[in-house]
Amino acid sequence: MADDSSTSHRRDPIKSSVGNVAAQRRRQNAVTVGKERRESLVRAKRLCRVGATGDGDVPVEENDMITDEAGFLLDTQTSSAVEELKSAVAYQGKGAMQKRVNTLRQLRRLLSKSEFPPVEAALKAGAIPLLVQCLSFGSPDEQLLEAAWCLTNIAAGKPEETKALMPALPLLIAHLGEKSSLPVAEQCAWALGNVAGEGEELRNVLLSQGALPPLARMMLPNKGSTVRTAAWALSNLIKGPDPKAATELIKVDGVLDAILRHLRKVDEELATEVAWVVVYLSALSNFATGVLVKSDVLQLLVERLATSNSLQLLIPVLRSLGNLVAADSHTISTVLVPGHEITDGVIKVLVKCLKSDHRVLKKEASWVLSNIAAGSIEHKQLIYSSEAVPLLLRLLSTAPFDIRKEVAYVLGNLCVAPTAGEGKPNLIEEHLASLVQRGCLSGFIDLVRSADIEAARLGLQFTELVLRGVPNGDGPKLVEQEDGIDAMEIYQFHENEDLRNMANGLVDKYFGEDYGIDE
Amino acid sequence: MAMVVDYKNDSSFPYWTSIRRRFEPDSPFFTSGNLERELLAKQVALDLTEDERNRLEKMIDNAARGVCCLIVGCRACLASLEDFEDHYNALHTASCSVCSRVYTTSRLLSIHVSEAHDSFFQAKVARGYAMYECLVEGCGLKFKSDKGRQQHLVDKHKFPTSFDFFKKAHPSKKKRLKNQQKRRMHKKDEEASSKMEVENETIDGLVSAVSKLSTSDSSPSNISFGRRNARGLTFVPLSVQPPREKK
Repeated sequence: MADDSSTSHRRDPIKSSVGNVAAQRRRQNAVTVGKERRESLVRAKRLCRVGATGDGDVPVEENDMITDEAGFLLDTQTSSAVEELKSAVAYQGKGAMQKRVNTLRQLRRLLSKSEFPPVEAALKAGAIPLLVQCLSFGSPDEQLLEAAWCLTNIAAGKPEETKALMPALPLLIAHLGEKSSLPVAEQCAWALGNVAGEGEELRNVLLSQGALPPLARMMLPNKGSTVRTAAWALSNLIKGPDPKAATELIKVDGVLDAILRHLRKVDEELATEVAWVVVYLSALSNFATGVLVKSDVLQLLVERLATSNSLQLLIPVLRSLGNLVAADSHTISTVLVPGHEITDGVIKVLVKCLKSDHRVLKKEASWVLSNIAAGSIEHKQLIYSSEAVPLLLRLLSTAPFDIRKEVAYVLGNLCVAPTAGEGKPNLIEEHLASLVQRGCLSGFIDLVRSADIEAARLGLQFTELVLRGVPNGDGPKLVEQEDGIDAMEIYQFHENEDLRNMANGLVDKYFGEDYGIDE
Repeated sequence: MAMVVDYKNDSSFPYWTSIRRRFEPDSPFFTSGNLERELLAKQVALDLTEDERNRLEKMIDNAARGVCCLIVGCRACLASLEDFEDHYNALHTASCSVCSRVYTTSRLLSIHVSEAHDSFFQAKVARGYAMYECLVEGCGLKFKSDKGRQQHLVDKHKFPTSFDFFKKAHPSKKKRLKNQQKRRMHKKDEEASSKMEVENETIDGLVSAVSKLSTSDSSPSNISFGRRNARGLTFVPLSVQPPREKK
């Protein structure tokens, strides 16, 4: 609002205040775009900017900063495009098919231009019923492709936008069939992958409509981008939390073989998507885990971890390994037996991950090691005498918190014998004494001090091991030296009763009034 | 269903057991890996700068690790571990200027100061006033003795029997030895000596010492406690409380 009482020394008050408002709006928009951008980056959905066949004919815009004006323009153009599509679909005369394809293409280009397609405008103008009509059986491939592409991008955004695709689902699934052309099938798979990525509810709808078998079959051929897209869509479809889909997938004829074949491939992008399928198979379905462990998959995972340096591939491969170790005691007791070559291989690649720069790899590798260390005495000895321990000790003092917590699990598990019935598990004094002597206690006391309940609990539990089991009764002295008593006293007034009792119990037992008298 | 938990028999300490840990695919444990997957898949298409990536990762980290302060009575929730550490150091490490003991709230500090360093407090105790406040904020009850308060904490507020606020736990080794020596010496020397440490006195000991004070309310200046002879009886204002932000 212009300030009418402006004095003459203020130049162009009206212009500057309008300018301010516009600038403010742009700044606000930048913040909104920032937030929207973050959300879109983090979703399990993917926009299709360049066609599935790779020959997108639209130059993808370099600068995606949507100003108000440009956004408004895009919306208007989209609404008109939908209107044109409407008349093209209604038109029955000569050249109707070409007209339909042209208007679809126009809409598709508008929906592929920027990072934030004008989905709302398209939906408001009534795009969905029209696109469903364009998917009808017998339609030419070009038409099916463009319609599926539009739907893909409509489904790539906000939850309510993805849900709007419901009327189109049966047809999209139908076009996955083996009679469809590959580009069409792939584009439909992509759209369905976005729908599945939205959430459990839509996943269940897709599963009950029979989306899984055709998608699974699309993963069987030996090559092609279709295989990769299908694998990605499947990973979204089976991610649960209901394990049914995962179990169903592994039972499909030829799927296990295809998984093994693709994990061997040089093409890291394909191997990556297939590895994610294995992640969800192994995390959710005990049946699938059993099948996988009996196959060659563990060996393949180890090989991949050893030879690849692509973080994108290493994450799901490592996690698959972790899931297979965590899910089934069979894995450690019959396959990863100490002394077998494969076991040494596993330790080696886990060490490689511990050495990596990537936080996720260090954390999840530590997790896997902690589960192996939860095995037999021989497993503990194997890890204890490996290259892993010096690395773990260093990580315990220098790494970020989430890694330190996992490392703590490994080290603690190395010091405690396998659980055998009730009562206190026995200590492995040799391991405990050595690790403490190499300086791990301060790292655990730090965990006692942390705000995280689980970590504090771990720290207190390890402290108890030290107090009880370090030879010559040196435990209390060592704990005191590391300011362990102070750390435990934090819990005198702590809200968490469990921690309070643990800490007070230890202090009472080992640092009572008589502590330190004889010396 | 009151179960007396006696950790001295360590029948209920949750010992470290080595077990396999399995996580569901949507467990927070896997969040950072999942996010990394999506970022990597899209960064080629979206051409994220290094700076943007770092900021995104930091934002994701913080969102996943918001920390709530669990000190009794404090309801603050902080955005990150660094913020939590700042909060803890600012608000939960109140230290006594007289004896350097550290408490986690300014209220507890002030209770400590009255009970351990204020002869005025002890005088009232000697006269039978209920001076020992319940430690749980909001309860409001007061007791004539430390033992009475202790019992109330256990019965009413479910504090563990091993909890002991007044008994100052675990001073350093040097200090402990010194205290042991003093206790032995004190047994020989019945009179309140200038070497007496207030904090290590039993209630009875204090009462007997205090009964030698005059009955007026003013602080007598000719008795000194502890090794702070130079200061005599320092007036420790009970009303000094560091500003406390309640979120």
